[in-house]
Amino acid sequence: MFNLIPFLINGLTLGLLFALIALGFMLIVGVMEQINLAHGSLFALGAYVAYALLGPPLPLPAGVGEWWAELPLGLRYVLALVVAPCIVGLLGILIEQGMRRTYGKDPLFGLLLTFGAAMVIEDVIRSIWGTRDYILPTPDAISGGFIALNLIWSTYRFFAAFAAFVFILLTWLLIERTRFGAVIKAGAHDSEMVRALGYDLAKLRIAVFAIGTMLAAAAGVIMAPIWGIRPHMGVDAVIPAFLIIVLGGVGSFWGAVIAGLMVGMVIGLTAAYASEWSLLSMYILLIVVVTFRARGLFGKKSILEA
Amino acid sequence: MQTPAHAGRLITPAMVGVALVLLTVPLWIAKVGLYQYIGVEILIWAIYALGFNLLLGTAGLPSFGHGAFFGIGAYAFGLTQFHVAANLWVCLLGGILAASLAGALVAGFVARRRGIYFAFLTIAFGQVFWFIAMKARNVTGGEDGLLPIARLPADFGIVSFDLTGNTALYFFVLALFLATVVALWRLTYSPFGRVLSAIRQSELRAAHLGYQVVLFKMLAFIVSAAFAGLAGSLFAMAQGGAFPEVMALHYSGYIVMMVLVGGGLVSFWGPVIGVVVFLLARDLLGAVTLTWMLWFGLLFVAVILFKPEGIAGVFQDLRRRFSRQPAAPAQPAARSTS
Amino acid sequence: MSALEARQVHVRFGDRVVLEEMNFSVAPGELHGIMGPNGAGKTTFFNVLTGRVRPSRGQVLVDGKDVTGLPPHRIAALGVARSFQIMTLFDEFSALENVALARPAFRAQALHGHRAAIGDPEADAAARLVLDEVGLGSKADVLARDLSYGERRALEIAVALAQEPRVLCLDEPTSGLGSDGIARIAEMVRRLKGRLAIVAIEHDMEFLFGLADRISVVHWGQVIAHGRPDELKANPWVRRSNLGRFG
Repeated sequence: MFNLIPFLINGLTLGLLFALIALGFMLIVGVMEQINLAHGSLFALGAYVAYALLGPPLPLPAGVGEWWAELPLGLRYVLALVVAPCIVGLLGILIEQGMRRTYGKDPLFGLLLTFGAAMVIEDVIRSIWGTRDYILPTPDAISGGFIALNLIWSTYRFFAAFAAFVFILLTWLLIERTRFGAVIKAGAHDSEMVRALGYDLAKLRIAVFAIGTMLAAAAGVIMAPIWGIRPHMGVDAVIPAFLIIVLGGVGSFWGAVIAGLMVGMVIGLTAAYASEWSLLSMYILLIVVVTFRARGLFGKKSILEA
Repeated sequence: MQTPAHAGRLITPAMVGVALVLLTVPLWIAKVGLYQYIGVEILIWAIYALGFNLLLGTAGLPSFGHGAFFGIGAYAFGLTQFHVAANLWVCLLGGILAASLAGALVAGFVARRRGIYFAFLTIAFGQVFWFIAMKARNVTGGEDGLLPIARLPADFGIVSFDLTGNTALYFFVLALFLATVVALWRLTYSPFGRVLSAIRQSELRAAHLGYQVVLFKMLAFIVSAAFAGLAGSLFAMAQGGAFPEVMALHYSGYIVMMVLVGGGLVSFWGPVIGVVVFLLARDLLGAVTLTWMLWFGLLFVAVILFKPEGIAGVFQDLRRRFSRQPAAPAQPAARSTS
Repeated sequence: MSALEARQVHVRFGDRVVLEEMNFSVAPGELHGIMGPNGAGKTTFFNVLTGRVRPSRGQVLVDGKDVTGLPPHRIAALGVARSFQIMTLFDEFSALENVALARPAFRAQALHGHRAAIGDPEADAAARLVLDEVGLGSKADVLARDLSYGERRALEIAVALAQEPRVLCLDEPTSGLGSDGIARIAEMVRRLKGRLAIVAIEHDMEFLFGLADRISVVHWGQVIAHGRPDELKANPWVRRSNLGRFG
């Protein structure tokens, strides 16, 4: 039993990261009333951009690439954690512009469009970085492991959990403690009313899409050393995101967090017994949950019911 | 999709025209800078795409995990060949049956849903099957695939055709393709197909008219899985092996893109057009740039944004303009209110 | 015996009570109207009668047979047809195809994948008859989405009629129509009276009071008044509220 503890901690870390991805996903679903299938690819892109910033020097003119690569890894890592989400966030805005054309049409089009976007992003990744796996370099301070209580622990996992926690906290502060957050919540509930109150719904949507995307990219950067970097890592992120909002309900912050932890635990525990099949457990969990269609632990009937 | 002119017929003039053109392909394929095998590929994917469109275009159900059935057909063909009988008909039957059974299993879960839930469930199932194909090395050969799968002869008792050459294989696949076309045309414009189309346009109304919607969705799913299995079996035979990558999400995405770009939402022949464009782009563009797939993806996104009726839709518009009829608006699927 | 009956139907969504102790019945050949303000629960009641919503308590009976909780397709098969307030037509199909799909003869062979659905002269003729009844005979080959609003409303009823029902449930059949259109629909319904049981939700007072044998007034999910049109005109509640603004 005691030997399960590292797996439980891993599960917790995964859970926090899944919650982070799901929160971004949920913000977009809430305000856009569309499911963004490209969310996973944006997660993946976050990881790849981080690799570009932390890996071998980039072929930039005037030796900028080499200068950058000479900077301390710790500094570059912190910057990557900030810069990668911003870059990917811009792409998110681009996708939102495309999705505008599908508003009001059959939801099938939004689905197909974001699916297409996901495929295009994945192909961009393949064109630039190829299909092999990459490993994200991490600063020594957060790498390696330590021994405590007669078990070996991974330092990075603790850091990852902490980083995810910080981002979740920031999201919470944004939604619950700022006026902007109040408008987002109102917009998720009743977009017509928000527009009637004088808020620019279009700008709101752009902002929310950007934030949601940035959260996904941030999760990608943090997750990269744990999962590795491969072109199709996106689907392994968007599936738990969907699962979590089905479990936790669209529009419920704590629902997403708690459901995220639950899903993470399931995977962490599966890894303890059959590590090769641990990701598979996530897909099976989705099938089971959707089949018995939990309306959500906290949320109300959502647009998913369309 | 509007009801086309010859919907009531078993064999339409278009079918005859297409058949005649395809019969002559071996004569000129090399002269246009292509090669016989691409003809085989196009027909195999066309079978897959036509079956897929029964689900997407007619019934309005977006399956993003259909590669699973294509792959299961491929693996089943190979496994039947190795363990049951090295007989072409038995192996094809094995492929179709295995894919149909898998389709029935998945249909049991997905048929009650539509839209987003349906889509995600199909993605999840596709991943599950892909996972199994990758990990169950003893059965499937894992990442390396199931090899070698031989091209079995088409034995009709009195006469037997050797299919090891690409031209012979082409004619065999052509025969199956034409049979698929006739079968799916009839199915699409049969009472069953009409009900599927009604379900797409308004599942609510169809249910209140007395139709057991779940049953119809299940059957549509199983039929499309069966055709995917047939295509997968032929694919395994054509390239000599079965590989797990056809079951990955990316690959499942190809068929969605092909069908849509070709115009599957508004035309029976749309999927075939989409397959031809895709494979020609692969070869012609692929010779110029390694990122051809990216361009096709962008084309797909552009089609969704600006012309969801696809290439076939463009042809329909041109035909309407030349016969001076009022243009039909581009609303292939009414939003189902429920 | 009633063609369609609801006993003590109670519907709750979450903690909101939508319908309370609804009792209702319609006899064969009778037209029983339902009126009431928006949000009163009339359409939810229809959803219960046709199987789309399962009541938390109570029973729904068709010809005396308990059908509570059965899914819509089963209740439809028992002879209950419904038209919708927000029109749900098959827009890509022609008026003829819309109607053809609703016919029980078609439904009986719906799983046939080997026959052609088009070009059956008998089926076509039968479908055209229904279209003639609602005045759409000349528009048989026009696509549903290309019909005018009034024609679509007529088609909405035609599709329900084509089901050869024993009970016809019309949800605001004249919604959005001008006085001409309302008069046409009223004429149509008048011709149908006596042949089958009809339940009609309507806001138009003239329509209801002119055609209904009985009317139930629904407010806050309950039947607050019930009776023949002439009885209701004298009902103080009806007179006091906006509903009784004429007569």
